[in-house]
Amino acid sequence: MGTATTYNEQELISLLKGRDDRAFAYLYDNYSGALNGIIMQILDNTELSNDVLQEVFINIWRKIESYDPSKGRLYTWMLNIARNASIDILRSKSYQNSRKNQSIPENVDGLMTSSFKPNTDLIGLRKLLEKLKTEQRVLIELAYFKGYTHEEISEIEGIPLGTVKTRIRNALMQLRTILQ
Amino acid sequence: MNIKEYISSGIVESYVFDLVNDQEKEEFERMCAAHSEVKEARDSFELILEQQSLDHAVAPPKNLRSRIFAELEIEKDKLNRSTNAENRIAVDQVMAEKAPVINMGGWMRYVAAASVILLVASTILNFYFFNQYKSFSAKYDGLLAQNAELARNEKSLQTSNKEYQSAIDKLRDTSMTIIKMAGNAVPSSPDPTSMATVYWNMRTKDVYLFVNNMPTPSSDKQYQLWAIVNGVPVDAGVFDIEKGVPVVTMKNIPNAQAFAITLEKKGGSTSPLGQMYVLGKVS
Repeated sequence: MGTATTYNEQELISLLKGRDDRAFAYLYDNYSGALNGIIMQILDNTELSNDVLQEVFINIWRKIESYDPSKGRLYTWMLNIARNASIDILRSKSYQNSRKNQSIPENVDGLMTSSFKPNTDLIGLRKLLEKLKTEQRVLIELAYFKGYTHEEISEIEGIPLGTVKTRIRNALMQLRTILQ
Repeated sequence: MNIKEYISSGIVESYVFDLVNDQEKEEFERMCAAHSEVKEARDSFELILEQQSLDHAVAPPKNLRSRIFAELEIEKDKLNRSTNAENRIAVDQVMAEKAPVINMGGWMRYVAAASVILLVASTILNFYFFNQYKSFSAKYDGLLAQNAELARNEKSLQTSNKEYQSAIDKLRDTSMTIIKMAGNAVPSSPDPTSMATVYWNMRTKDVYLFVNNMPTPSSDKQYQLWAIVNGVPVDAGVFDIEKGVPVVTMKNIPNAQAFAITLEKKGGSTSPLGQMYVLGKVS
């Protein structure tokens, strides 16, 4: 499956914008695993993850023209497409129902308790969150992995909006340090 | 706020993680464009994140790749078609503006329109025919049942027809003597309007009974035919008033001066105990 050619970011982007088949094959071979990783961190249902990855890849193909390199790297752009698609599924009725069947509480109370529990199955960023303070970790969980707005989190957690923002920013700074 | 403070406020990471509101986003993009340090901070965090993601990649199942690329082919097709359509419209416009030449793109559009109409018509027809099929199928089942019913009826008609035929054949015999038995010939008859006819074959001595009019007896009773031989009633058999049975074959009677019918208990009696309904003398 590996593509022998390598492209630098600019080359790759211009080929992708021309909808070059080989560039998309390269993109898939090099980034599908990373994108799949974030999808699986948000949704742990593998079958759904595959569907989401497919949707994400098609969307990358469809929207590549609108990608603006001055606003960030290609991967960041793709990552956000993958995250948004996953959160859409996470919030869909059918996903909620499928979770209910597994008898895992997915309401806010359930989410809070499950967030406090250390989970050994966690991968990637989610695993790094383990290194954060609980109060920070919960906020990143809600904001990044569940897609709640700062306003919603303020309401859920019963803390002022300003505090939510500050805590999230501090948490992200720490995450950066951990990543480095 | 100076640039350093701005960079270390967490805005860079928030922006990359897409956890900023529209206002913060706009501001950050402005800052990136204006200050290379901000852009560098963003780039470096993006690279860190990308590297981390690649390090923790989870390979999707092998078959997903072909599924996705097959889907991309469909997307490509859609894109080509819409691009072609746009081009064609553009060409059509140019043609229309430039000269009133016969529009080559035009007839294709008619073909396309016609094919759409045909498709819609065909879909409607399919639907219509499917419904027709369903209704005919139900009707066919109904007809099958009806046919079976008719076949049964025909069989029973044939049977009764045969009986009539054989009855007529019997009665056609030239040696047949006819004895009319009437209710009014019996002073004590419970029903003076009763009437029955005995057909007595003088050659074979076979007795046939035709019931002209007799009241239907209760279920525990049966009519019994008697041959009066020298003043003594001789049992000629019991019979029921059955629809569709025109002539009842009774017992063979070699000799008699009269015939009579009494109402007896079911199965008949050895000598008449019940009331006599009709009586007829052999002439």
